[in-house]
Amino acid sequence: MKRPIFFRRPGPWFLALALLALLLLPGIAMAETMKVTQPNQSLYPDPDFAGTPVVPVPVGAEVTVLQQSGDWYQVEYQGQSGWLNRQAFPAPAAGSKFNLPGLLTGAPVKETSSDEVALAGKGFTPEVESSYKQKHPEAKYAEVDQVEAQQVAAAKLQAFITEGGLKP
Amino acid sequence: MRSHLRRLAILLLVALPGLWGCAVATGFLPSAVQPAASIAATGATKAAQASREISDSEEYYVGRAVAARILSTYPLYRNPAVTEYVNEVGQTVARKSPRPNTYKGYHFAVLDSDEINAFACPGGTIFITRGLLATCASEDELAAVLAHEVTHVVDKDGINSISKARWTEVWTSMGAEAARQYGGVAGNLVNLFEGSIDDVFKALVVNGYSRSAEYAADAGSVKISTAAGYDPGALARVLAKIQAKEKPGAGGFYKTHPPANERLAKVKGAAPGVAPPAAEVTRTQRFQKIVKT
Repeated sequence: MKRPIFFRRPGPWFLALALLALLLLPGIAMAETMKVTQPNQSLYPDPDFAGTPVVPVPVGAEVTVLQQSGDWYQVEYQGQSGWLNRQAFPAPAAGSKFNLPGLLTGAPVKETSSDEVALAGKGFTPEVESSYKQKHPEAKYAEVDQVEAQQVAAAKLQAFITEGGLKP
Repeated sequence: MRSHLRRLAILLLVALPGLWGCAVATGFLPSAVQPAASIAATGATKAAQASREISDSEEYYVGRAVAARILSTYPLYRNPAVTEYVNEVGQTVARKSPRPNTYKGYHFAVLDSDEINAFACPGGTIFITRGLLATCASEDELAAVLAHEVTHVVDKDGINSISKARWTEVWTSMGAEAARQYGGVAGNLVNLFEGSIDDVFKALVVNGYSRSAEYAADAGSVKISTAAGYDPGALARVLAKIQAKEKPGAGGFYKTHPPANERLAKVKGAAPGVAPPAAEVTRTQRFQKIVKT
């Protein structure tokens, strides 16, 4: 009796199944720890910037990633669960060593700051700004720093929005 | 042949956990295929680098330099209560914009000038002159002006005014950059940065953005105002006031923006006036108390 075709040639089927598993398994990813490297980040109740931030997440904070949805990561930080945008993590460094997920997704990889070649490769950086400042002492950077220091606390903004009958 | 395939399949299954570990170490595999530009940005070649857009942090440093240059022309209006209030209104609209969170956030400040003008620096620092602030009669009108400027940041109109030739040079020069040092930093890059600041400053202060960019910012303002709960008809009201104050041959804002009557016609079509809700009265009262006293 002739065996069905996939029993006759198990090799290709086995190979196809293995490839399928390779593509699907990371989707059911286990918890992973990532370090926040970008300033001005907060945990949000939903994957949406319009919500009220749960808690600010400082640079250097380690978060446990539970799942990813588009540009958002559901994470645990200091016992609180919330959503962190992918911009909390560094942009991929050009010329970094081979990295499978990075190659596919542009996922965060660590940057090198000491290497001059890498520095030039990053484009406009604080170092470029520093040299520009030396060339342009008339530029009012101290005042820009003052403008940037102006913050509106999340609770104060909420009170302002509520008082004005605006949309939360 | 068959045994080769079987061996390869077994090898894949054995290697799977290792490959998976590599995948989760730095991120997750995509749920959909990424655009070619995103893949190119992570590649190792300089040619691939040239195809990437300016990053959020680079936009921020350009914006800081543009802001520093504007502040060397216009002094800051140092009134903490007004500055705080303008920031509260600004943050209220920025959070409802399509780009609510820039690299280091949005910041709003008032320039001590009677001129009617406002500037959106790349990355989210937004200036409004005392003259334009005084032209607004309510919080909703101020929100409309700030939402217009936020839309310029959302649309990256400032950063897009860097000449394409200069931007290409930024990326093509980077390969040989390490050989040419200037003050510890790649020198040509500093010159290109300087040129980029010139491009953006000229667009903001001298020539203005394209008419289509301004109309898009007006449309964006109406959308953001609506999403935030402000009166979408407020932009039309403030534009009418700006138009009324226009003098023949006026420069500044009047030179860098399309005629207010043309903008007004478009905006009125998008957001016909509605009766102000009760909450608008409360908002106008707080505006009058902080700004007009």
